[in-house]
Amino acid sequence: MKFEKKRASTKQNIPTASLPDIVFMLLLFFMVVTTLREIDVFVQYKLPEAESLEKIENKRLVSYIWVGRDGRIQLNDSIVQIDEIQTIMYRKRVELPQVIVSLRIDKGSEMGIVTDIQQQLRKADARRINYSAYIKE
Amino acid sequence: MVKIKKGGIREAEIPSSSMADIAFLLLLFFLVATVIDVDSGIGIVLPEFTEDQELVPISKDRMAALLINENGDVLLDKEVIAIPQIKEALIPRIESKLEQPKNKKLIVSIKTDRKTNYNLYIQALDQVRLAYAEVKDKVSFEMYGKKYLDTNDEERKEVREKVWEIISIAEPEKVK
Repeated sequence: MKFEKKRASTKQNIPTASLPDIVFMLLLFFMVVTTLREIDVFVQYKLPEAESLEKIENKRLVSYIWVGRDGRIQLNDSIVQIDEIQTIMYRKRVELPQVIVSLRIDKGSEMGIVTDIQQQLRKADARRINYSAYIKE
Repeated sequence: MVKIKKGGIREAEIPSSSMADIAFLLLLFFLVATVIDVDSGIGIVLPEFTEDQELVPISKDRMAALLINENGDVLLDKEVIAIPQIKEALIPRIESKLEQPKNKKLIVSIKTDRKTNYNLYIQALDQVRLAYAEVKDKVSFEMYGKKYLDTNDEERKEVREKVWEIISIAEPEKVK
């Protein structure tokens, strides 16, 4: 008796015609999600961890202040001295009254510098702040 | 006679097999360029800046004074406490003031030295916030039978009015 191989007569191809579409969809997702970082961060910092976090919903309202491990302060895109913060932030606050200042301060910093920044922000009347932190596992 | 040959109709097609590759390249670029930014943190609103501060007398039992010194010791109302215990210590005190009017509710004051570590301050602030969050959850559960985060705007406002959160961040003392 002769054994015949059972084989479907149809072609055994995975249809790849829709592959580009799928990839484009992924691509679109990432394009929408991506915020290209327009600020170069010059200072090194490590954020503290905390549990009671809230998200900043509207990224357009945010100004950033970094405080590095070495105590240098960066406001948005340049390194500044502490007493310059008031003028810069005041100008910003006139443009954008609801500005939120996100403080990204190295966790090894001292409170002195934090308080000085806060005083500057109070004088500039940019009073909504957010201590940036990672979520604690 | 020369026969004019008509060229056969060629199939005019743009090869689309490499389309996927191109799309993948783009995809890879965006994958690499994406920074999923942490924009989460502890939000507070600083008080207004005034030149002359007026001192308002505040009764002792309204205040919960947290002091963190430069060595990382934490005092809650003059008693030494470990940072993870702050939450438990504050919850009953917040709850005892729930029925009071807004201007009689608990004030949590956090005071640091200039040399205090920032991380400790955040941990302490976090504990205070957690204590308030827990009380809010409890209150909204009693009032509406659901967690604070599941309430709608109006209910949330009610809960917030009841558990009025006052955190005062005292300025560090000048170095003597």
